[in-house]
Amino acid sequence: MKTPQENIRNFCIIAHIDHGKSTLADRLIEYTHTVDERKIKEQTLDNMDIERERGITIKSVSVRMEYTAEDGHVYELNLIDTPGHVDFSYEVSRSMAACEGALLLVDAAQGVEAQTLANAYKAIEENLEIIPVINKVDLPAADIESVRRQIEDVVGLPADDALLVSAKTGLGTRETLEAVIKRVPPPSGNLDAPLRALVFDAVYNTYRGVIVHLRVVDGSIAAGQKILFMAAGIKYEVDEVGSLQPDMVPRPELCAGEVGYLICSIKTLSDTPIGDTVTGADKPAREPLPGYKEVKPVVFSGLYPAVATDYDELRDALEKLQLNDSSFQYHADSSDALGLGFRLGFLGLLHMEIVQERLEREFGLTLVTTMPNVAYVITKTDGEVMTIDKASQMPSPGEIDVIEEPYIEADIMCPTQYLSYVIDLCKRKRGVHVRVDYIDGNRCMAVYRMPLAEIVLDFYDKLKSGTRGYGSLEYRIIGNQPGDLVKLDILLNSDPVDALSTIVHRDSAVRLGRALAQKLRKLIPRQQYEVAIQASINKKIIVRETIKPLRKNVTAKCYGGDITRKRKLLERQKEGKKRMKQIGTVEVPQEAFMALLRVNEEDND
Amino acid sequence: MTEPLLGIYIHIPFCRKLCAYCDFVRYPFEEALCEAFLKALCVEIASFEGPTRAKTLFLGGGTPSILTERQLESLFSCLFKIFEFSSPEISMEVNPDDVTAASVQHWERIGVNRVSIGVQSFDDATLSKMERRHDAKGALHAIDLVAGHFNNWGIDLIYGASTKHAWQETLNITDSLSPPHVSSYALSYIPGTPMYNATRARMEDDTVLQLYQDAESMLARYEHYEISNFALAGFQCRHNLIYWKNECYAGFGPGAYSFVDRIRMANPPDLKDYVEYPGRKAEVTQIDLFDEEVETLIQHFRLREGISPGYYEKRFCESMDKNFGAPLRILMERGLLESHEGRIRPTAQGFYLNDEIGLLLVK
Ligand SMILES: Nc1nc2c(ncn2[C@@H]2O[C@H](COP(=O)(O)OP(=O)(O)OP(=O)(O)O)[C@@H](O)[C@H]2O)c(=O)[nH]1
Ligand code: SF4
Ligand SMILES: [Mg+2]
Repeated sequence: MKTPQENIRNFCIIAHIDHGKSTLADRLIEYTHTVDERKIKEQTLDNMDIERERGITIKSVSVRMEYTAEDGHVYELNLIDTPGHVDFSYEVSRSMAACEGALLLVDAAQGVEAQTLANAYKAIEENLEIIPVINKVDLPAADIESVRRQIEDVVGLPADDALLVSAKTGLGTRETLEAVIKRVPPPSGNLDAPLRALVFDAVYNTYRGVIVHLRVVDGSIAAGQKILFMAAGIKYEVDEVGSLQPDMVPRPELCAGEVGYLICSIKTLSDTPIGDTVTGADKPAREPLPGYKEVKPVVFSGLYPAVATDYDELRDALEKLQLNDSSFQYHADSSDALGLGFRLGFLGLLHMEIVQERLEREFGLTLVTTMPNVAYVITKTDGEVMTIDKASQMPSPGEIDVIEEPYIEADIMCPTQYLSYVIDLCKRKRGVHVRVDYIDGNRCMAVYRMPLAEIVLDFYDKLKSGTRGYGSLEYRIIGNQPGDLVKLDILLNSDPVDALSTIVHRDSAVRLGRALAQKLRKLIPRQQYEVAIQASINKKIIVRETIKPLRKNVTAKCYGGDITRKRKLLERQKEGKKRMKQIGTVEVPQEAFMALLRVNEEDND
Repeated sequence: MTEPLLGIYIHIPFCRKLCAYCDFVRYPFEEALCEAFLKALCVEIASFEGPTRAKTLFLGGGTPSILTERQLESLFSCLFKIFEFSSPEISMEVNPDDVTAASVQHWERIGVNRVSIGVQSFDDATLSKMERRHDAKGALHAIDLVAGHFNNWGIDLIYGASTKHAWQETLNITDSLSPPHVSSYALSYIPGTPMYNATRARMEDDTVLQLYQDAESMLARYEHYEISNFALAGFQCRHNLIYWKNECYAGFGPGAYSFVDRIRMANPPDLKDYVEYPGRKAEVTQIDLFDEEVETLIQHFRLREGISPGYYEKRFCESMDKNFGAPLRILMERGLLESHEGRIRPTAQGFYLNDEIGLLLVK
């Protein structure tokens, strides 16, 4: 049966990371009997292994629910659960374009955090009806009044009618559903106009190929219909449409205002134009819907098979993984030290970690990963402009006129007692002060502009440890700015190792070079020959560390019973060595290539 | 091919006092338990299936010298019922405390022709630290008696338990006594032993290496024929050479290993288990051809003489160069192996870094 448009509500759940979005989604799904009760587990919508293991949402998921409201009518509710982590904020923006309303969740014990604010502002920009929800009111540390004040003062939303919810106990579930119906407006599209549907997401299904997620704005779409992707200019015939509940349920058609899926023989995710408008091929709409800004990777790193012969397997794995996740980019690359491999671009460090982990786990690969870095734009003295995403591409200092690096504007929220720490940290990370807002008596938000490279290095870990976990961070890229940057090289036995080079600020180059050489001395095991580790800046050696040669490695006794045991022991050791990369005569463990990330571990400020 | 000649090993798992560093299969001596063990041992020997011609017999432990004349005689008669020895080397490990004029005569009488004395050190402080039963004087006395009856005898030494000076002193005395055979082991701190638990500061690798090199230079009259073993001409231990050449052997007693027809078997180390079910195996492993080849190479590279490609080819009907040419060449480039008079053998560094050789040879 078709739902009249005025009985449709499209909304998303947005919040800071871990404030309980997916858990609230569980309660709503449960209350509306959308999913068989036996199939409801904690965070049902987090269906990727890695999401369940880490307890975080990476991908937005939409679900269609039916709810008989107190007014006696049956409503179709399309909910989108969004990720909270900053790396995946583009998912939140996409989801919002398919909605008229948003539940803004705030943890009753934690209050408004950096992503609460960022996501709320996005929702305001998108003209969504925002319903503040104070979650986790069951916690002993819940401070409802203070959170209410923060929502009003910081976010600027009226909060006297904020919903009080415990997604854990189910308190406030019905009230939430009623509020959605009463406060979120129904979609306003025109059923009789030519079809216009926004592609807001796509996932890959092994059996069905690409599943396009779309929000129908005007008109309707049905199986058998000929459609046109307006920006891409490609035509398809619709194989199937339906709703996500959250499994795919085919439907005869999707009408204006509805959210659902579309299958139309698109082969790969990278061929799927997310943000594009689907219209009828025979009777196209005149104007497409506003699309999305393309998301661009900002963090890059090299990925190499630990064993060179696994190169083909790694290539296949990347191809397959990209079917599921088109948000990372890759291209073939090579390194003198590491051989043939790939260069990957990610949306952030968590994204990087997740892609690497999935490659290793889902495809059984052992990988060597190089230190992540940002992309630099270099204007050479001859006027040529080039963008580089790895240090070894950097021209010699004489050829460089200007080198620019990406900057972010960061909102750092923390209790006021940590403000001086945060300011100090930002300064050390080359931050430029913008302002500090005081949220209430005990919390504040510092806004700083700083190089993205500093975030990539260790800013977040430092922020968390320096604020006992209370500091939260949100940032957006604001463009490139020139910097006094130099290339820091590492030499093993006098040969520069390209995979260990990095671009750093001149002021910290010597300190980092020293720390890195020291760290490498600890990470690289003693070998038959002495290993000299040197750090150099612009070809000038600034430090040398030495790894003494292995002098003695012998099993004193080896009689009858010891032989097989010893062979097996040696085999195990050799297995461990396979995870090392041979660079010249030196065996370098994988961790060494990420050593820069860990140089500050011991010298904690 | 003619049937290979076995090496026979007998493990006597009793000691009067347990030394602080030792993790061998051994138990505090108890008369009744020892009797029960010997009975089980004979049952195990009698039930042996396999080749019966042998060229060596080695009584190890534990402390074989703990056995009475009667016990030793009945053990030997058990053995001689099953095995046929042709001009055998019959070795026995003895504790200095058990060496008396009478015992030495008895050992000689029943056919023992090689005695290995567990001296460990000639320094009293070192000996008491290791919680040995004897002192230096006792060791010298034992050596005197043994040397008077046997021309093939040797001593075991341990270094790394105390000072460099004490070690050099021990080496000096050793040199002056001129035992035909010297085994010299680095003390290893084995988790679980009292010595491991009591010692926090381990000796630096470099220092241990120096002690090793002290032995090399001070025992220069000897042939340093295996990583930890020195012998005067003609006095290499034939039994242990069987292990180092990865030939076949049969072991009896708790924790003893056998290697016959490419099957490696282990007895249960637990004495109760052993006594209850003599002959029952705790482990039976079929060693495949490749593993035997690797193990054979690894073991031969413990020997100064190394291995000859001809021997390898005769034994495995395959070419050593074809199977291991690449790693062997790398090891030669790294200076761990060298080619010498048609053989491939470890260099001095190949002894110090012997495990690096194995690491390259295994899969
Ligand atoms: N006590 C209590 N715990 C809650 C409540 N809601 C969620 N939690 C817990 O908070 C943690 C985070 O919940 P999620 O639902 O995964 O949070 P999320 O906002 O979806 O997290 P991301 O998707 O990673 O941003 C989990 O351990 C939940 O069990 C609540 O109402 N009360
Ligand atoms: S005498 Fe030998 S076997 Fe017995 S405890 Fe001492 S070292 Fe170990
Ligand atoms: Mg979630």
